[in-house]
Amino acid sequence: MARTPFKVEVLTPEGEVFNDEVEMVSTRTSVGSIGILANHQPLLAMLNPTELRLYKSDSEVIRFAQGEGFLQMTGDRALVLVDEVFSVDKLNASDLQERLKRAEDELASAEEGTEERRAAERDKRRYEAFLKLADNA
Amino acid sequence: MALKDVKSRIASVKNIQKITRAMEMVAAARLRRAEQRIESLRPYAGAIRRMTRQAAQAAGNVPNLPILNEHDSEDKVAILIVTGDRGLAGAFNSQIVRAGMRAGNEYETAGKSTVWYASGRRGVSSLAFRGREAKGAYTGFTDRPSYANAREIAAELVSAYVDGEVDRVEIIYNRYVSALTQEVTRETLLPLQHATIMGDDGAVDSLGERAAEDEALDHDHEHTALVEYEPDPEEILERLIPAYVEISIFRALLESTASEHGARMTAMRNASENAGDIIKDLTLEFNRERQAAITQEIMEVVAGAESLV
Repeated sequence: MARTPFKVEVLTPEGEVFNDEVEMVSTRTSVGSIGILANHQPLLAMLNPTELRLYKSDSEVIRFAQGEGFLQMTGDRALVLVDEVFSVDKLNASDLQERLKRAEDELASAEEGTEERRAAERDKRRYEAFLKLADNA
Repeated sequence: MALKDVKSRIASVKNIQKITRAMEMVAAARLRRAEQRIESLRPYAGAIRRMTRQAAQAAGNVPNLPILNEHDSEDKVAILIVTGDRGLAGAFNSQIVRAGMRAGNEYETAGKSTVWYASGRRGVSSLAFRGREAKGAYTGFTDRPSYANAREIAAELVSAYVDGEVDRVEIIYNRYVSALTQEVTRETLLPLQHATIMGDDGAVDSLGERAAEDEALDHDHEHTALVEYEPDPEEILERLIPAYVEISIFRALLESTASEHGARMTAMRNASENAGDIIKDLTLEFNRERQAAITQEIMEVVAGAESLV
Protein backbone atom coordinates (compact mmCIF):
# COMPACT_ATOMS: atom_id res chain seq x y z
CA MET A 1 0.00 0.00 0.00
CA ALA A 2 1.45 3.30 -0.99
CA ARG A 3 1.62 5.84 1.80
CA THR A 4 1.87 9.61 1.64
CA PRO A 5 5.51 10.60 1.25
CA PHE A 6 7.02 13.36 3.38
CA LYS A 7 10.36 15.15 3.54
CA VAL A 8 13.08 13.83 5.78
CA GLU A 9 16.45 15.39 6.43
CA VAL A 10 19.22 13.52 8.24
CA LEU A 11 21.96 15.80 9.56
CA THR A 12 25.23 14.98 11.29
CA PRO A 13 28.01 17.30 12.47
CA GLU A 14 29.94 16.20 9.38
CA GLY A 15 27.19 17.20 7.00
CA GLU A 16 23.89 16.14 5.52
CA VAL A 17 23.57 12.45 4.76
CA PHE A 18 20.01 12.25 3.50
CA ASN A 19 17.44 14.72 2.23
CA ASP A 20 14.56 13.25 0.32
CA GLU A 21 10.98 12.08 0.55
CA VAL A 22 10.16 8.85 2.30
CA GLU A 23 7.00 7.04 3.34
CA MET A 24 8.15 6.08 6.81
CA VAL A 25 11.02 6.62 9.22
CA SER A 26 11.82 3.99 11.79
CA THR A 27 14.19 4.55 14.70
CA ARG A 28 14.39 4.21 18.48
CA THR A 29 13.74 6.89 21.06
CA SER A 30 14.79 6.62 24.68
CA VAL A 31 11.26 5.34 25.32
CA GLY A 32 11.12 2.71 22.59
CA SER A 33 10.92 1.98 18.88
CA ILE A 34 9.04 4.49 16.83
CA GLY A 35 7.74 4.67 13.26
CA ILE A 36 6.90 8.04 11.80
CA LEU A 37 4.46 8.50 8.92
CA ALA A 38 3.46 11.67 7.12
CA ASN A 39 1.41 14.15 9.16
CA HIS A 40 2.60 12.78 12.46
CA GLN A 41 1.84 14.98 15.45
CA PRO A 42 4.62 17.53 16.12
CA LEU A 43 7.26 15.68 18.08
CA LEU A 44 10.60 16.20 19.71
CA ALA A 45 12.29 12.97 20.66
CA MET A 46 15.65 11.82 21.96
CA LEU A 47 17.15 8.96 19.94
CA ASN A 48 19.33 6.12 21.14
CA PRO A 49 21.85 4.19 19.05
CA THR A 50 20.01 1.82 16.75
CA GLU A 51 19.23 1.13 13.12
CA LEU A 52 17.71 4.07 11.31
CA ARG A 53 15.45 2.89 8.50
CA LEU A 54 14.11 5.19 5.82
CA TYR A 55 11.35 3.54 3.80
CA LYS A 56 11.21 5.07 0.34
CA SER A 57 8.62 2.38 -0.38
CA ASP A 58 7.76 -0.99 1.12
CA SER A 59 10.52 -2.63 -0.86
CA GLU A 60 13.14 0.12 -0.94
CA VAL A 61 14.61 0.71 2.48
CA ILE A 62 17.73 2.73 3.28
CA ARG A 63 19.44 1.52 6.41
CA PHE A 64 21.94 3.31 8.60
CA ALA A 65 23.54 2.61 11.93
CA GLN A 66 22.93 5.75 13.96
CA GLY A 67 24.47 7.02 17.17
CA GLU A 68 22.66 9.21 19.66
CA GLY A 69 20.51 12.03 18.42
CA PHE A 70 17.21 13.81 18.22
CA LEU A 71 14.17 13.76 16.00
CA GLN A 72 11.98 16.74 15.32
CA MET A 73 8.71 16.45 13.45
CA THR A 74 7.21 19.75 12.39
CA GLY A 75 4.23 20.00 10.11
CA ASP A 76 5.10 18.08 7.01
CA ARG A 77 8.76 17.34 7.55
CA ALA A 78 11.05 15.43 9.84
CA LEU A 79 14.53 16.39 10.91
CA VAL A 80 16.79 13.67 12.26
CA LEU A 81 19.91 14.90 14.03
CA VAL A 82 22.43 12.23 14.94
CA ASP A 83 26.04 12.47 16.06
CA GLU A 84 27.16 9.74 13.67
CA VAL A 85 25.77 7.46 10.98
CA PHE A 86 27.34 4.58 9.07
CA SER A 87 25.93 2.39 6.41
CA VAL A 88 25.32 -0.94 8.12
CA ASP A 89 27.71 -2.91 5.92
CA LYS A 90 30.59 -0.61 6.85
CA LEU A 91 30.45 -1.60 10.50
CA ASN A 92 33.55 -3.46 11.60
CA ALA A 93 32.64 -6.11 14.16
CA SER A 94 36.14 -6.67 15.54
CA ASP A 95 36.75 -2.94 15.94
CA LEU A 96 33.40 -2.60 17.70
CA GLN A 97 34.23 -5.55 19.99
CA GLU A 98 37.38 -3.75 21.00
CA ARG A 99 35.59 -0.47 21.68
CA LEU A 100 32.89 -2.27 23.63
CA LYS A 101 35.57 -4.00 25.69
CA ARG A 102 37.21 -0.65 26.44
CA ALA A 103 33.86 0.87 27.47
CA GLU A 104 33.23 -2.12 29.74
CA ASP A 105 36.66 -1.75 31.32
CA GLU A 106 36.03 1.92 31.96
CA LEU A 107 32.64 1.11 33.39
CA ALA A 108 34.20 -1.43 35.75
CA SER A 109 36.83 1.01 36.98
CA ALA A 110 34.52 4.05 37.30
CA GLU A 111 32.95 4.74 40.64
CA GLU A 112 29.22 4.59 41.19
CA GLY A 113 27.35 7.83 40.54
CA THR A 114 30.15 9.63 38.68
CA GLU A 115 29.87 11.32 35.30
CA GLU A 116 32.68 9.09 34.13
CA ARG A 117 30.48 6.08 34.75
CA ARG A 118 27.53 7.55 32.91
CA ALA A 119 29.74 8.31 29.91
CA ALA A 120 31.02 4.72 29.90
CA GLU A 121 27.46 3.42 30.09
CA ARG A 122 26.46 5.48 27.08
CA ASP A 123 29.48 4.24 25.12
CA LYS A 124 28.69 0.67 26.05
CA ARG A 125 25.10 1.06 24.89
CA ARG A 126 26.26 2.57 21.59
CA TYR A 127 28.72 -0.19 20.75
CA GLU A 128 26.31 -2.92 21.85
CA ALA A 129 23.70 -1.54 19.48
CA PHE A 130 26.20 -1.27 16.60
CA LEU A 131 27.55 -4.72 17.26
CA LYS A 132 24.06 -6.19 17.08
CA LEU A 133 23.58 -4.50 13.70
CA ALA A 134 26.96 -5.74 12.46
CA ASP A 135 26.11 -9.30 13.48
CA ASN A 136 22.78 -9.17 11.69
CA ALA A 137 24.27 -7.75 8.51
CA MET B 1 83.83 27.37 -3.32
CA ALA B 2 84.82 24.86 -5.93
CA LEU B 3 82.76 24.62 -9.06
CA LYS B 4 81.63 21.07 -8.34
CA ASP B 5 80.44 21.97 -4.83
CA VAL B 6 78.33 24.85 -6.10
CA LYS B 7 76.77 22.59 -8.69
CA SER B 8 75.81 19.95 -6.14
CA ARG B 9 74.40 22.60 -3.81
CA ILE B 10 72.21 23.94 -6.59
CA ALA B 11 70.95 20.42 -7.23
CA SER B 12 70.11 19.84 -3.57
CA VAL B 13 68.31 23.17 -3.17
CA LYS B 14 66.30 22.36 -6.31
CA ASN B 15 65.28 19.07 -4.76
CA ILE B 16 64.18 20.81 -1.57
CA GLN B 17 62.18 23.26 -3.64
CA LYS B 18 60.39 20.42 -5.37
CA ILE B 19 59.38 18.99 -2.00
CA THR B 20 58.19 22.30 -0.56
CA ARG B 21 56.17 22.99 -3.73
CA ALA B 22 54.52 19.58 -3.46
CA MET B 23 53.75 20.15 0.24
CA GLU B 24 52.25 23.52 -0.57
CA MET B 25 49.92 21.99 -3.11
CA VAL B 26 48.87 19.16 -0.81
CA ALA B 27 48.15 21.66 1.96
CA ALA B 28 46.07 23.80 -0.41
CA ALA B 29 43.91 20.84 -1.41
CA ARG B 30 43.43 19.79 2.21
CA LEU B 31 42.65 23.34 3.23
CA ARG B 32 39.71 23.46 0.84
CA ARG B 33 38.32 20.24 2.28
CA ALA B 34 38.81 21.50 5.84
CA GLU B 35 36.96 24.73 5.01
CA GLN B 36 34.03 22.72 3.67
CA ARG B 37 33.86 20.68 6.85
CA ILE B 38 33.54 23.82 8.96
CA GLU B 39 30.61 24.79 6.74
CA SER B 40 29.02 21.36 7.08
CA LEU B 41 28.85 21.69 10.85
CA ARG B 42 26.74 24.85 10.75
CA PRO B 43 23.32 23.36 9.92
CA TYR B 44 23.74 20.75 12.64
CA ALA B 45 24.78 23.29 15.27
CA GLY B 46 21.87 25.50 14.26
CA ALA B 47 19.36 22.66 14.53
CA ILE B 48 20.66 21.69 17.98
CA ARG B 49 20.20 25.28 19.10
CA ARG B 50 16.64 25.47 17.75
CA MET B 51 15.70 22.25 19.48
CA THR B 52 17.23 23.47 22.73
CA ARG B 53 15.21 26.64 22.55
CA GLN B 54 12.04 24.72 21.84
CA ALA B 55 12.62 22.23 24.65
CA ALA B 56 13.58 25.01 27.08
CA GLN B 57 10.37 26.84 26.29
CA ALA B 58 8.37 23.70 26.91
CA ALA B 59 10.21 22.95 30.14
CA GLY B 60 9.70 26.49 31.39
CA ASN B 61 13.40 27.00 32.02
CA VAL B 62 16.78 25.42 31.55
CA PRO B 63 17.30 22.65 34.11
CA ASN B 64 20.04 23.01 36.65
CA LEU B 65 22.64 20.75 35.10
CA PRO B 66 26.04 20.26 36.75
CA ILE B 67 27.87 21.45 33.64
CA LEU B 68 26.07 24.81 33.89
CA ASN B 69 26.96 25.37 37.52
CA GLU B 70 30.01 27.27 38.56
CA HIS B 71 31.99 25.58 41.29
CA ASP B 72 32.27 27.42 44.61
CA SER B 73 36.01 27.74 44.39
CA GLU B 74 38.15 27.77 41.29
CA ASP B 75 41.35 26.07 42.37
CA LYS B 76 41.97 23.64 39.54
CA VAL B 77 41.93 24.74 35.94
CA ALA B 78 42.08 22.40 32.97
CA ILE B 79 43.68 23.70 29.79
CA LEU B 80 43.19 21.93 26.47
CA ILE B 81 45.67 22.93 23.80
CA VAL B 82 44.75 22.07 20.23
CA THR B 83 47.79 21.54 17.98
CA GLY B 84 48.68 19.42 14.96
CA ASP B 85 50.33 16.03 14.65
CA ARG B 86 53.02 17.38 12.37
CA GLY B 87 55.28 20.39 12.16
CA LEU B 88 56.52 22.35 9.14
CA ALA B 89 53.64 24.74 9.49
CA GLY B 90 55.29 27.96 10.54
CA ALA B 91 54.27 29.26 13.96
CA PHE B 92 51.09 27.18 13.98
CA ASN B 93 52.04 24.82 16.80
CA SER B 94 54.45 26.98 18.73
CA GLN B 95 52.06 29.89 19.16
CA ILE B 96 49.47 27.57 20.73
CA VAL B 97 52.02 26.07 23.08
CA ARG B 98 53.26 29.54 24.02
CA ALA B 99 49.72 30.83 24.68
CA GLY B 100 49.01 27.71 26.74
CA MET B 101 52.12 28.17 28.86
CA ARG B 102 51.29 31.83 29.40
CA ALA B 103 47.76 30.95 30.55
CA GLY B 104 49.15 28.19 32.77
CA ASN B 105 51.68 30.51 34.37
CA GLU B 106 48.98 33.11 35.01
CA TYR B 107 46.90 30.59 36.92
CA GLU B 108 49.85 29.19 38.78
CA THR B 109 51.06 32.59 39.97
CA ALA B 110 47.48 33.17 41.18
CA GLY B 111 47.92 30.06 43.32
CA LYS B 112 45.81 27.71 41.23
CA SER B 113 46.80 24.32 39.94
CA THR B 114 46.60 23.38 36.30
CA VAL B 115 45.66 20.14 34.58
CA TRP B 116 46.75 19.70 30.97
CA TYR B 117 45.02 18.15 28.00
CA ALA B 118 46.47 18.21 24.50
CA SER B 119 45.25 17.26 21.08
CA GLY B 120 47.90 16.71 18.41
CA ARG B 121 51.32 15.08 18.78
CA ARG B 122 53.13 18.41 18.76
CA GLY B 123 51.21 19.66 21.76
CA VAL B 124 51.65 16.42 23.67
CA SER B 125 55.41 16.35 23.12
CA SER B 126 55.78 20.06 23.92
CA LEU B 127 54.04 19.51 27.24
CA ALA B 128 56.31 16.58 28.03
CA PHE B 129 59.35 18.66 27.09
CA ARG B 130 58.26 21.37 29.52
CA GLY B 131 57.78 18.83 32.25
CA ARG B 132 54.01 18.98 32.29
CA GLU B 133 52.15 15.75 32.12
CA ALA B 134 49.16 15.60 29.76
CA LYS B 135 46.21 14.08 31.60
CA GLY B 136 44.52 13.53 28.27
CA ALA B 137 46.50 13.12 25.04
CA TYR B 138 44.58 12.83 21.80
CA THR B 139 46.60 12.18 18.67
CA GLY B 140 46.43 10.66 15.21
CA PHE B 141 43.45 12.53 13.80
CA THR B 142 44.41 16.19 13.41
CA ASP B 143 44.54 15.85 9.62
CA ARG B 144 40.89 14.95 9.59
CA PRO B 145 39.15 15.05 12.97
CA SER B 146 35.85 13.19 13.25
CA TYR B 147 32.98 14.01 15.56
CA ALA B 148 33.78 10.85 17.50
CA ASN B 149 37.16 12.40 18.41
CA ALA B 150 35.40 15.49 19.73
CA ARG B 151 32.94 13.33 21.63
CA GLU B 152 35.74 11.43 23.33
CA ILE B 153 37.50 14.63 24.40
CA ALA B 154 34.22 16.20 25.54
CA ALA B 155 33.28 13.13 27.58
CA GLU B 156 36.58 13.24 29.48
CA LEU B 157 36.47 16.98 30.10
CA VAL B 158 32.82 16.94 31.18
CA SER B 159 33.51 14.01 33.51
CA ALA B 160 36.48 15.81 35.03
CA TYR B 161 34.36 18.92 35.57
CA VAL B 162 31.22 17.25 36.89
CA ASP B 163 33.14 14.87 39.12
CA GLY B 164 34.97 17.83 40.66
CA GLU B 165 38.47 17.05 39.45
CA VAL B 166 38.65 20.49 37.84
CA ASP B 167 36.72 23.72 38.40
CA ARG B 168 37.10 25.29 35.00
CA VAL B 169 38.02 24.11 31.51
CA GLU B 170 39.64 26.31 28.89
CA ILE B 171 40.48 25.56 25.29
CA ILE B 172 43.25 27.22 23.27
CA TYR B 173 43.22 26.74 19.52
CA ASN B 174 44.00 28.45 16.22
CA ARG B 175 40.85 30.02 14.84
CA TYR B 176 40.79 29.94 11.08
CA VAL B 177 40.55 33.40 9.53
CA SER B 178 42.16 32.84 6.15
CA ALA B 179 44.99 30.83 4.64
CA LEU B 180 47.32 33.62 5.71
CA THR B 181 45.89 34.38 9.13
CA GLN B 182 45.20 32.14 12.10
CA GLU B 183 44.16 33.66 15.37
CA VAL B 184 45.10 32.14 18.69
CA THR B 185 41.80 31.89 20.54
CA ARG B 186 41.20 31.14 24.20
CA GLU B 187 37.70 30.17 25.29
CA THR B 188 36.02 28.84 28.40
CA LEU B 189 34.36 25.49 27.74
CA LEU B 190 33.12 24.70 31.23
CA PRO B 191 31.14 25.83 33.11
CA LEU B 192 28.99 26.16 30.04
CA GLN B 193 27.64 29.71 29.81
CA HIS B 194 23.89 30.24 29.64
CA ALA B 195 24.52 32.83 26.94
CA THR B 196 26.22 30.21 24.79
CA ILE B 197 23.09 28.10 24.81
CA MET B 198 20.28 30.57 24.58
CA GLY B 199 22.10 33.53 23.10
CA ASP B 200 21.43 34.58 19.55
CA ASP B 201 24.60 36.63 19.36
CA GLY B 202 26.27 33.91 17.34
CA ALA B 203 28.70 33.15 20.15
CA VAL B 204 28.76 29.46 19.34
CA ASP B 205 28.01 29.56 15.66
CA SER B 206 27.22 32.14 13.07
CA LEU B 207 23.76 31.25 11.96
CA GLY B 208 22.85 34.39 10.14
CA GLU B 209 21.61 32.60 7.09
CA ARG B 210 19.49 30.32 9.23
CA ALA B 211 17.98 32.99 11.42
CA ALA B 212 15.04 33.69 9.15
CA GLU B 213 14.14 30.04 8.84
CA ASP B 214 14.64 29.81 12.56
CA GLU B 215 12.02 32.34 13.32
CA ALA B 216 9.61 30.84 10.84
CA LEU B 217 9.89 27.55 12.67
CA ASP B 218 9.53 29.13 16.10
CA HIS B 219 6.46 30.87 14.84
CA ASP B 220 5.10 27.56 13.63
CA HIS B 221 5.30 25.99 17.04
CA GLU B 222 3.21 28.55 18.78
CA HIS B 223 0.34 27.99 16.43
CA THR B 224 0.42 24.28 15.80
CA ALA B 225 -1.03 21.61 18.00
CA LEU B 226 0.67 20.57 21.18
CA VAL B 227 4.12 19.16 20.63
CA GLU B 228 4.70 15.69 21.92
CA TYR B 229 7.94 15.07 23.86
CA GLU B 230 9.60 11.73 24.19
CA PRO B 231 10.81 11.63 26.96
CA ASP B 232 9.86 14.89 28.72
CA PRO B 233 11.57 18.16 27.72
CA GLU B 234 13.76 18.26 30.85
CA GLU B 235 15.33 14.91 30.01
CA ILE B 236 15.85 15.91 26.39
CA LEU B 237 17.62 19.07 27.57
CA GLU B 238 19.87 16.97 29.76
CA ARG B 239 21.31 15.47 26.62
CA LEU B 240 20.96 18.47 24.29
CA ILE B 241 23.00 20.80 26.45
CA PRO B 242 26.13 18.62 26.73
CA ALA B 243 26.03 18.49 22.92
CA TYR B 244 27.14 22.14 22.97
CA VAL B 245 30.42 21.13 24.57
CA GLU B 246 30.95 18.47 21.90
CA ILE B 247 30.10 20.90 19.12
CA SER B 248 32.41 23.60 20.54
CA ILE B 249 35.28 21.13 20.70
CA PHE B 250 34.53 19.74 17.25
CA ARG B 251 34.46 23.24 15.81
CA ALA B 252 37.77 24.05 17.46
CA LEU B 253 39.29 20.86 16.02
CA LEU B 254 38.00 21.68 12.53
CA GLU B 255 39.17 25.29 12.73
CA SER B 256 42.55 24.12 13.95
CA THR B 257 42.84 21.67 11.06
CA ALA B 258 42.00 24.36 8.52
CA SER B 259 44.47 26.70 10.23
CA GLU B 260 47.17 24.05 10.14
CA HIS B 261 46.78 23.48 6.41
CA GLY B 262 46.67 27.23 5.81
CA ALA B 263 49.78 27.81 7.91
CA ARG B 264 51.62 24.98 6.21
CA MET B 265 50.63 26.25 2.79
CA THR B 266 51.99 29.69 3.61
CA ALA B 267 55.15 28.35 5.24
CA MET B 268 55.86 26.10 2.27
CA ARG B 269 55.23 28.88 -0.20
CA ASN B 270 57.79 31.02 1.63
CA ALA B 271 60.20 28.10 1.69
CA SER B 272 59.81 27.61 -2.07
CA GLU B 273 60.44 31.29 -2.67
CA ASN B 274 63.50 31.26 -0.45
CA ALA B 275 64.80 28.21 -2.28
CA GLY B 276 64.31 30.12 -5.54
CA ASP B 277 66.41 33.01 -4.21
CA ILE B 278 69.16 30.68 -3.08
CA ILE B 279 69.19 28.96 -6.45
CA LYS B 280 69.50 32.34 -8.16
CA ASP B 281 72.43 33.37 -5.95
CA LEU B 282 74.16 30.03 -6.35
CA THR B 283 73.72 30.05 -10.11
CA LEU B 284 75.29 33.47 -10.25
CA GLU B 285 78.17 32.24 -8.15
CA PHE B 286 78.50 29.17 -10.32
CA ASN B 287 78.72 31.26 -13.52
CA ARG B 288 81.22 33.59 -11.95
CA GLU B 289 83.42 30.70 -10.86
CA ARG B 290 83.17 29.07 -14.25
CA GLN B 291 84.10 32.32 -15.99
CA ALA B 292 87.05 32.78 -13.63
CA ALA B 293 88.26 29.27 -14.39
CA ILE B 294 88.04 29.87 -18.14
CA THR B 295 89.89 33.16 -17.86
CA GLN B 296 92.56 31.51 -15.81
CA GLU B 297 93.01 28.76 -18.37
CA ILE B 298 93.34 31.26 -21.21
CA MET B 299 95.88 33.25 -19.23
CA GLU B 300 97.86 30.09 -18.62
CA VAL B 301 97.82 29.20 -22.30
CA VAL B 302 98.89 32.72 -23.33
CA ALA B 303 101.62 32.78 -20.68
CA GLY B 304 102.85 29.40 -21.90
CA ALA B 305 102.89 30.57 -25.54
CA GLU B 306 104.76 33.75 -24.61
CA SER B 307 107.50 31.83 -22.83
CA LEU B 308 108.14 29.84 -26.01
CA VAL B 309 108.73 32.90 -28.17
